[in-house]
Amino acid sequence: MTATPLQADAGRPIRPPRSRLLPLGLVVSAAITWWAASDDFGVGFSLGEIIDNLTRGHRVLREVLSPNWAFFPQTVDPLLETFKMAIIASVIGCGVALPLSFLASKVTTPNSVTYLVDRGVLNVIRALPDLLYALVLVTAIGIGPLAGIIALILFNLAVTAKLLSETIDGVDTGPSEAAWAGGASRTQMIRSSVFPQILPNYIAYVLYVFELNVRASAVIGLVGAGGIGFVLQVQMGFFAYENVAVIVAELFVAVFLIELVSIRLRRRLV
Amino acid sequence: MIEFDKASVTYPGGVQALVDLDLIIEAGQLVVIVGLSGAGKSTLIRAINGLVPLSGGTVRVDGRDVGRASGRELRAIRSRVGMIFQTFNLVKRTSVLNNVLMGRLHATPTWRSMIGWYRRRDIELAMQALERVGIVEKAYVRAANLSGGQQQRVGIARALAQDPKIILADEPVASLDPPTSHVVMRDLQRINHELGMTTVVNLHFLDLAKVYGERIIGMRGGRLVYDGTAHDANEQVFRDIYGRSLTADDVLDSPAA
Amino acid sequence: MARSPSKVVDGQTRPAPPSRFQSKALALLVVALIVWSVVTIDVDLERLIDLPARLGDSIRRMFLPPDWGYTGRAVEGMIESIQIAWIGTLIGAALSLPLGFLGAKNVSAGPVSSIIRQILNGIRAIPELVLAVVIFIPILGLGPFAGTMAIGIHSIGTLGKLTAEVVEGVDPGPVEAARASGASQVQTLRWGVLPQVLPDIVAFWLYRFEINIRAAAILGIVGAGGVGAILQNTLTFRRWELAGTTVIVIIIATIAIDYVSAAVRRRIIEGGAHRQRADVIEQPELAVT
Repeated sequence: MTATPLQADAGRPIRPPRSRLLPLGLVVSAAITWWAASDDFGVGFSLGEIIDNLTRGHRVLREVLSPNWAFFPQTVDPLLETFKMAIIASVIGCGVALPLSFLASKVTTPNSVTYLVDRGVLNVIRALPDLLYALVLVTAIGIGPLAGIIALILFNLAVTAKLLSETIDGVDTGPSEAAWAGGASRTQMIRSSVFPQILPNYIAYVLYVFELNVRASAVIGLVGAGGIGFVLQVQMGFFAYENVAVIVAELFVAVFLIELVSIRLRRRLV
Repeated sequence: MIEFDKASVTYPGGVQALVDLDLIIEAGQLVVIVGLSGAGKSTLIRAINGLVPLSGGTVRVDGRDVGRASGRELRAIRSRVGMIFQTFNLVKRTSVLNNVLMGRLHATPTWRSMIGWYRRRDIELAMQALERVGIVEKAYVRAANLSGGQQQRVGIARALAQDPKIILADEPVASLDPPTSHVVMRDLQRINHELGMTTVVNLHFLDLAKVYGERIIGMRGGRLVYDGTAHDANEQVFRDIYGRSLTADDVLDSPAA
Repeated sequence: MARSPSKVVDGQTRPAPPSRFQSKALALLVVALIVWSVVTIDVDLERLIDLPARLGDSIRRMFLPPDWGYTGRAVEGMIESIQIAWIGTLIGAALSLPLGFLGAKNVSAGPVSSIIRQILNGIRAIPELVLAVVIFIPILGLGPFAGTMAIGIHSIGTLGKLTAEVVEGVDPGPVEAARASGASQVQTLRWGVLPQVLPDIVAFWLYRFEINIRAAAILGIVGAGGVGAILQNTLTFRRWELAGTTVIVIIIATIAIDYVSAAVRRRIIEGGAHRQRADVIEQPELAVT
């Protein structure tokens, strides 16, 4: 079929030029991938290596898959400590995040400077992962749950404030207008018309952050910041993988339970 | 009493929403404002409680200059002016009572409003407002579960709870069906007659304007082009205000019924 | 209001306030949990009081001023972490796509999708750190490759779950239409489901990439490559100024990547449209028609 020139039939529209971005994006991604996977510049990705060395992992896997349940009693106290750390950090982190998130949203803060500063600070805090905070804190103030709690609070704060401020950006502004029209102050306006709208999301974020904290506090124990992570690190140090398996199983159950509770709670509130 | 003195509003971008408006509304009057969309109705109403600041001229409410008012003074002025919106502007997630209590915020200290612990006197006022519009049984129902007409009545109750001297209504029935529109307009009329509150209503539908308005103000292109009684407002007058022949869209109830 | 009570509409009774017993009980429980946590946690009061002073001291030593000469080293490490995160996310994305579809209730039969969801949850629950130390470092030895695999496998869990949820939330209309016109199962998925979910899924991939950057930085601590090891070294030897430089490099790189990723995500989801809601509250004239 001969190609029809640009002057198509009377009724047919001309096909709009294809966006250049998508193929460009794909090419760039492919290039980055090739560079990142290479041996010299990158991580040295090789499927062959995995397959060759699978047997080495086999022994470890075998131990992991036969957990030593007798180890369980020794994990109870550290697990409780992890739990308490998560609770305290969630409460303080999400509590402080609430006013900060109002300041980080154009809806509730007209003053550009405050808004930009707040947003900036939150972005910086968010950039460091929790474990790195924990590392610095442990070196600065010593090992134990205190360092862990602070690390978690910083992490929480940033995550929750960002999520919340995005929610706030999307609220219905009608009731706020009504609050202004009735003579309310800015704080009263926020409390009466914005807050009720974001409450279900806020609770969802608190529960989400709590779950993240439980998982995170397990990990930050690795650098000595308290909780079950410390036990994990010790056992990994002994190569006692049957014990490690117990801990991982407990974490799995804990996270699973929290998710269950959190889904139930969220359903009741909405 | 509401006084506009050479009031003008020009939006960024150059649109002149209000041009040299001179208007006095005495206490206790029921005034209906008509005009095309964009003619300045909304701007006029929102200038009264300062939601839209004037670019020139003044507007006074009971002698107080709205444009010059400081934060606290402005809130005091607004507390005496209740407003009802076309889209109701209720907080859907919360109860009817909590919505009406928003009208008592100006009289509630900040710490009380933060934890939602209103004084008993304020709750009483809110309940009375709900009784006045006839839906107190729904006090604890979530606002989202009400029909459009009921939601608007909650909006009216919220305004009444302020114990205002003036009621502003910006197209209060535009989102409602004809029978409900009449119910709401009758409520507004009743409030004006029984409680003596100055009532200013923007209306889109001319038949409603004639039936419920004692004084009709016509706006066109930001200017006041008609100021007279409903009695004198005939079709010719409306055609002048609208600048075109009237269509079926301009009336609420269909003519042949 | 008190002027004319006699005109109040008769026949109305005020309802009783609803009993909030369950909510109150729940609130009490939560408060009790919090109090218990605070009271029983093993933290010295002394340490708490010392805290601001010691922290302030360390921060001062880190950043005033940091040792800029160390920047090269830190950047090298950061680049390696970025590479780890990139490949890891790719692996996670590639493998989670089919798994996510299979885990969706509206694609595979009930028991199959449930099993797959549970597997995904299981993978999710294991922190990358554990995966790295327990599985991949033994197999592949220390170094970035192990880190990459750890991140990749862990990402399958979260991405798979999110993908499955998005697929479950799909509008059944186009799917029905495809099926009605005789398309096979795979074709229906490709043309009826995929176009709807792809933007959201790609957005998840990008978001996961942002998170994986942080995970990759951390993995260095256990020897799986990247800038984490560098940071840990500086802190072990208490070289605060070097640590400061490293932290600054990490922060800048992470923020930059977050920014680009967020911009791309926004483009994908909204197709360039702007949100204007937030302006209305401060410029009420925008609410006027």
